[in-house]
Amino acid sequence: MEGLRNDGRRWNELRRIHCQLSTSGSSADGSAYVEQGFTKVLCTVTGPAEPGSRQRGRSDGATVVCEVYFAAFSGTDRIKRGRNDKKVQELQTAVQKTFASVILTHLLARSEIAISLHVLSQDGGTLAACINATTLALIDAGIPMADYVCACTAGQPAIGLGGGSGGGDDDEPDPYLDVNYLEESDIPSLTVATVGGGEKVAVVSMESRVRIERLEAMLAVGISGCARVREIMDKEVRRYGKEKLDGTGE
Amino acid sequence: MTSIKRMLADAAGHDSITSKVYIRSAKSGKVTKIVREIYLRTDIPCSSRLCRVCLLNAPVDSSNRSRPFVLSEKPAGTTVYPQGHYLMPDTNIFLQCMDAIEHKSAFYDVIVLQTVLEEVKNRSLPLYNRLVSLTKSDEKRFYVFHNEFRQETHVRRGQEESINDRNDRAIRVACKWYQKHIEQAAASSGIRAPAVVMLSNDKDNLAKASAEGLDCIDLQNYVKGLKNSDELLDMISSSLQDQERKANRGDNIYPEYFSISKMNTGVRNGTLHQGTFHTSTYNSLEGIVGVPTFDKHLLVTGLENMNRAVDGDLVVVELLPQDQWKRQSDKLVDQDTLTKNENADVDEVEAIVTERERRALVDEAKRIQRSQDESQKVQPTAKIVGVVKRNWRSYVGHIDPGSVNRAKSGGQQVVFFRPLDKKIPKIRVFTRQATQLLGQRIVVNIDSWDRTSRFPVGHFVRALGELETKEAETEALLLEWDVQYRPFPKAVLDCLPSEGHDWRVPEDKSHPGWHKRTDLRDLLICSIDPPGCQDIDDALHARLLPNGNYEVGVHIADVSNFVRPSNAMDSEAAQRGTTVYLVDKRIDMLPPLLGTDLCSLKPYVERYAFSVLWEMTPEAKIVNTIFTKSVIKSREAFAYKAAQMRIDDKSQTDPLTEGMRILLMLSKKLRQARMDAGALNLASPEVKVQMESETSDPASIEVKELLETNSLVEEFMLCANISVARKIYEAFPQTAMLRRHGAPPATNFDDLRSQLRARKNLDLHVESSKALADSLDACVDPQEPYFNTLVRIIATRCMVPAEYFSSGTQAYPEFRHYGLATDIYTHFTSPIRRYSDLAAHRQLAAAIDYEPLDESLYNKDKMDAVVKNLNVRHRNAQFAGRASVEYYVGQALKNKSTEEEGFVAKIFSNGFVVFVPRFGIEGTIRLESTKTFDADEYVLELEDGRKIVLFEKVRVRVDVVKEQATGRRKTELTLA
Repeated sequence: MEGLRNDGRRWNELRRIHCQLSTSGSSADGSAYVEQGFTKVLCTVTGPAEPGSRQRGRSDGATVVCEVYFAAFSGTDRIKRGRNDKKVQELQTAVQKTFASVILTHLLARSEIAISLHVLSQDGGTLAACINATTLALIDAGIPMADYVCACTAGQPAIGLGGGSGGGDDDEPDPYLDVNYLEESDIPSLTVATVGGGEKVAVVSMESRVRIERLEAMLAVGISGCARVREIMDKEVRRYGKEKLDGTGE
Repeated sequence: MTSIKRMLADAAGHDSITSKVYIRSAKSGKVTKIVREIYLRTDIPCSSRLCRVCLLNAPVDSSNRSRPFVLSEKPAGTTVYPQGHYLMPDTNIFLQCMDAIEHKSAFYDVIVLQTVLEEVKNRSLPLYNRLVSLTKSDEKRFYVFHNEFRQETHVRRGQEESINDRNDRAIRVACKWYQKHIEQAAASSGIRAPAVVMLSNDKDNLAKASAEGLDCIDLQNYVKGLKNSDELLDMISSSLQDQERKANRGDNIYPEYFSISKMNTGVRNGTLHQGTFHTSTYNSLEGIVGVPTFDKHLLVTGLENMNRAVDGDLVVVELLPQDQWKRQSDKLVDQDTLTKNENADVDEVEAIVTERERRALVDEAKRIQRSQDESQKVQPTAKIVGVVKRNWRSYVGHIDPGSVNRAKSGGQQVVFFRPLDKKIPKIRVFTRQATQLLGQRIVVNIDSWDRTSRFPVGHFVRALGELETKEAETEALLLEWDVQYRPFPKAVLDCLPSEGHDWRVPEDKSHPGWHKRTDLRDLLICSIDPPGCQDIDDALHARLLPNGNYEVGVHIADVSNFVRPSNAMDSEAAQRGTTVYLVDKRIDMLPPLLGTDLCSLKPYVERYAFSVLWEMTPEAKIVNTIFTKSVIKSREAFAYKAAQMRIDDKSQTDPLTEGMRILLMLSKKLRQARMDAGALNLASPEVKVQMESETSDPASIEVKELLETNSLVEEFMLCANISVARKIYEAFPQTAMLRRHGAPPATNFDDLRSQLRARKNLDLHVESSKALADSLDACVDPQEPYFNTLVRIIATRCMVPAEYFSSGTQAYPEFRHYGLATDIYTHFTSPIRRYSDLAAHRQLAAAIDYEPLDESLYNKDKMDAVVKNLNVRHRNAQFAGRASVEYYVGQALKNKSTEEEGFVAKIFSNGFVVFVPRFGIEGTIRLESTKTFDADEYVLELEDGRKIVLFEKVRVRVDVVKEQATGRRKTELTLA
């Protein structure tokens, strides 16, 4: 299709992003809900709190733990993913490692921060949505962090959209920003997360093979997407903060 | 607890997002509901050069370029739309009239809606591909408008609205939008706006459109307003043409097909079977369907059971009860004799089985009952209950002169079209140019085959020229075998090196071309090829090493250096798949600049090569193998004969000749080793047509001569192919480009074995290729030296064809090449003329870390698609080559009636097949009457007491006659 992806976007367009803070109210210390296209993730954060009875917590900082739950109805086919599912474990590790490095843990010695993520619907970019939701929930919980961690995906189509005039065959096709489920299953894609919307990359994860020359362009597109995700998240945080301060909220 | 409240209220602000909901049901019976987002936009241009607004908003890509606008500012007018018009056809128009739409004289400035494009894609992939290539070409000005993604033209399916209705509405909405948009654009520049014309044949849709004030017209009326309306109207699918006639048609001749779900369930339960239908070469009333559940093919006899299936269709069959099982017919039946007096125009009183056919079938049934060893030879029979996938294509042939009503000068009439391919039934064609088309080679497409019609109905596509002119016949042949023969498009030629013929291997070794390349220019390399060969793929060398072993090198043209993956030239080559050799013409896979010059390993010049270097012991055992890209300089290009003479000439003792002697010595050992492993030595009747150099008319026919040097080259090429196959399989176990040759099922040899047993008291052992090779060697008749060759020719036809595959699709034991008796094989040695070799080159280059592998060569799906195409192209190229030889043999023997010696290769109750070795031709001789036929002894006694015996010699007269059925000059054999 000329110049358009299968859902009508162009190569450099994000999907609709909707985010909301404090969705679980008082039942958690912080919570957030993020939709990127039809990928929907709910995150709740408890902590900083005393660690569970077993561990005693690190004396030099806080421990971050993460649990991910996939709703059985979240994908096209109904699949139950258990605790030991490989995909679940990978997601948990990725989120836990990312935030352990970004949260200012030295300020919260001997405490535990528990992140719990519920994936309600999957339409591509699950890891990115999980990271974005966690960032917002941590902000809602008031946990000190270096900056926003914003994530986005980028894919590399084999054939270009031919949006240009020449459309010469020697041109490398433009990478796709923010791939949806169909694209994710079709073309190689990566997830990248940056700290503060700059060029400081916190996470890069890729599960498919791609030519090494194409990687740089994909990363660049992904990083630019992260900056735009940050703007959207920042806007929502400020709106929510203002609402709270104005006392117009509940 | 607060709830997350958003969605509908929130989404209202976003009218630029909508979702598409659809239900997908899998074959397993599972139903999935899928919801996808759609982003609606306002920046999709109308692409009319009239419009300024869209030009300003035109989207750009990452390098800030936008597409040029397609639709011209002054589109052509017709009588109905004198102000000019843009066309907006609906889906059915594309499905039924693609041939007319592709015509050069009309159908310019066409808006292809996304809705329509997707519908076409779902209905017919080949037509979709043709439509896409139309939209890509600059000359026809086809523009794909993404109406589904444009906010104003997106249409939501209403409740209770069928998908078809919704799509029709989408087309009307898009048409309306375009009309307004173009009017505005034209008004701002003060021109009279061209009309936007919706083209449809759906009466309902047309009525609704005109009610909405749209310009709309049906196809017939539209085409009538064009200049060459007669020709264009002929090209329109007949299903549109005789819609009215269809309504008042007579009785159904054929049984109805089962519904798709009934067929699916049946196939799943095992009550029905699915397979490809093949019409018998000798009997047009009989065909076979190979299904996995039975060893033997299922026999389908009679038109009613064949139920409108055409050769190559994927069909579903139902087994007939056992008491109706039969032997394969031993009669020659041909369409001609059955349907001689039928009139194409008459379709009311056609009975399914004509009297003549019925008699033929009854005769046969009687004969079977008489036969003795019924149980052994009887085959399960089946009837076709549905067609899963049609294999219809364009057919080349001519109009049956008998069916044309010459008196009727103007107006439409129905005529019979006789395809060249005898397996295809006659096709009824509606035409307004019947008298002009007589005596022409024409192309016809099948449109449909209704239950009420005895023959399929088709439409005229184009005329190739007079029958029997060289140009028309060659083009007919290429079309018939789907060989892409048009000149290379500009995009392909743009990929060639800019230096053209002046390209040289760079002198400076620091040039990137020399990167990781070995300098082999000092080796004494030569090439040995058929005389007059221009595309030299391979060259060889050999020399003695100090340790007593030999170094042998095979050097292959480095085509992958010039053809980069996935550029236009690569796609074109992948599409063509192979170079096709005809008697008087070569249809290249690569542009001639590469094939005959830059890649070709011509003598005395430096060329890039891909070399395989072995160290071999004097017993021809490989000690070590090295693969490397190299630069070589061939010292000489020999023809087989010249090389043979050079080797045989004892007085020549220069190092080059010595090297060739080493090669010959080693090749004999390699060959012996291969034969010991059980490689088959099969025969095919190959002849060569000598052309007169001045008139380029065929002059004489020669049987191809085989010299030792032929097999010298062959052995080393096989050896190189095997070495490369191992290497690329090791590097890419999932996607290596390999070639396999399956072991033929033992049942394929049943006929031949029982014939040999009965006639010669010989047997074939078919357990392994080794056993077969040995028993073929034993098949000799001391009195008749040619008998062995004849058996080999027949045995070759029992084999399954070799095929390309990517290594991930088969288990390792299946990699075996039966004919060559090797466990793994690929094609590496002819990259100029075969795409598979080019792919192998790229994979080998990656395997030796020369350059990274392109994505397309490690992607399983893409490899599968490439391989599938290659197999088809390879087979077609072979058929086209053979057909070309056949045609020229016919031309060479024209007006020369000779008596020749032939051998009986197959025998029927009313005729037999004779093979004439001198001309490499095979012909069927039909006999009007015979005395007795002994099916078990394969003896046919003629009225005059002469006996025709299988495998025995027979004198035949070879004449060339113009065949009525195909309009082509063909050799005809008669008993002398």
